[in-house]
Amino acid sequence: MARIVLQRLLVSLIRYAAAGIALILLIEFSFCVIGGSDRHVWKPISYGPVPPELSARPVSWAGLLEDRVRVSLPVLVLCVPGILLIGYSWGLLGARLRRFHGARILAAPFSLFACVPGFWFVVLVAIYSYFHWRRPGFANDLVVERGPDLLTWWHAAIVALPALAAGAAWQIRAVSTVLEKEVTRPYLRGLFMAGYSDEDIFYRNAFRRALPALFALSDRTLSSVAGSLICLEYAFRYPGLGSLFVESVKLGSYGGVLLSGMAIAAFLSFAVFLSEVVVKLIRPEGAGG
Amino acid sequence: MNRRNSKVLRGLTRLFFRLWQMRRVLLLVVPYFVLLGWLFVGGGRMDVRPAELYGIPDEPAWESPDAAHWFGTTGNGADLFELSRLAMATSVSVAVVAVSFGIALALLLSMLFVFDPGNRRFELVRVIGQTGFLLPSVVVLVILTGGTGGSLGVAILGLILVIAFHLCPVLADWFQEGESGFDVVAGYVLGLSRREIVMNRILPKILRRLIGVFATYVPVVVLVEMTLSFLGLTGDRLSCGAMIAYGQGLIIEAPWMSIYPGLMATFVVLVLAVLGWRVSAALRTGPLPRLF
Repeated sequence: MARIVLQRLLVSLIRYAAAGIALILLIEFSFCVIGGSDRHVWKPISYGPVPPELSARPVSWAGLLEDRVRVSLPVLVLCVPGILLIGYSWGLLGARLRRFHGARILAAPFSLFACVPGFWFVVLVAIYSYFHWRRPGFANDLVVERGPDLLTWWHAAIVALPALAAGAAWQIRAVSTVLEKEVTRPYLRGLFMAGYSDEDIFYRNAFRRALPALFALSDRTLSSVAGSLICLEYAFRYPGLGSLFVESVKLGSYGGVLLSGMAIAAFLSFAVFLSEVVVKLIRPEGAGG
Repeated sequence: MNRRNSKVLRGLTRLFFRLWQMRRVLLLVVPYFVLLGWLFVGGGRMDVRPAELYGIPDEPAWESPDAAHWFGTTGNGADLFELSRLAMATSVSVAVVAVSFGIALALLLSMLFVFDPGNRRFELVRVIGQTGFLLPSVVVLVILTGGTGGSLGVAILGLILVIAFHLCPVLADWFQEGESGFDVVAGYVLGLSRREIVMNRILPKILRRLIGVFATYVPVVVLVEMTLSFLGLTGDRLSCGAMIAYGQGLIIEAPWMSIYPGLMATFVVLVLAVLGWRVSAALRTGPLPRLF
């Protein structure tokens, strides 16, 4: 087990380093080669201190990252487990009800919601909040100074909801597709002929054998979710990591772009690492099926 | 008396059966034409700039939605429904161009590897794909468009690259899947060359599936284009994203300016997504990765 963990850790670190190099090259290409800026990404003078537009109080780059990550965490806590919980449970149910197109029907509400532009949804919430609750609608307008801070979770939920819908719709379909493919295998026909019940065949055989493929799906949607959160946080003026990224790009602050980009890559890298370790442990090398 | 049908009649009969076999796909083409025709009527006014439209004149002439103006009007009296329709036409055009070129580039890149007889010929494509997963497509697009000051041309270029990057591993899988078919094995046994097998047996099946890929990804790219314009990264061009972004500044005075363009965008994306789903189901495209 230790060998597998260390092996996957090494691969993750190499991938993370490659992503970092790609990010640096992309910044140089966009800002200097196409954009015509003379501030090259390898010059320390291009970074400097944190611009005042990115933080209301004087803070170091590390402090800024810490602040923004802390704000983004509730969004991730709501979004990622929500996608996995809904995606796997409803996907499983959809595959079980495959004769009635269960996966399509269960994913339909999420797919429909995914057609709504997320940035428009958060603006709608802000407008509704202003006209019906008589309070500023965007996330940076009001701060709770006393009592339980439920407002933070409300704002996090608004940002997380569109990303969750799109992610869950994809996850339901993906989980269901894997299971439906598994139940078409010939050995299941044999089990049916031998007198096994439907439940036995599905849960004790097909589901168990599909577990590694199902676990491998757990990180597939995270990259898109992270991308969605970048736009949603900015649109709802939610001062998280996504907002930091967009604000930094608009300001041309390489420090902010690199910091937020690498933080997002680190989150994804960790998720991929966990998923790969679990898949390797479930299905040892050399085992088929 | 034995009478043979004429060549023309036989050709027509064959054509009729061929069209009958494709009836599901052909039926889906009609709603596409209706939607695109409706969007692109009156495209001569495509050069309107949202900054001018959403500017507040000294005496604003805006009107809330009524029977004459379903979506209301802007500060200078322009009809918001017409503007939203034109904005969606721009977004759909961008999406169609980006997805077409993205698919073409992905196919071209895959073809560089497909003629190699080795078993691990697509390994490089897969490794690069796994590493690229760590940088979300939106991150790449925002840096690319933001760094260059925001222009539609760079946004389209970025979209093409992102689509090609994510589609390459999928095409690699499809090529490998196609090579395990009975007809391909039979072709090898009969002594056909690898080039003949790829070009005549595998590629036609993949090209058919690519139509489904196109139909599936167009609504997704429409959403992404609107998001980029909302962030102000596609220049000062008419797009529902830009209209909603400008409308945010008038939430109290004229909330319809940010509400109704989004409604139009949702409607168009929804229709395109439903059509895309049906096309991909009819052509058995199979599951695709999430791009954005």
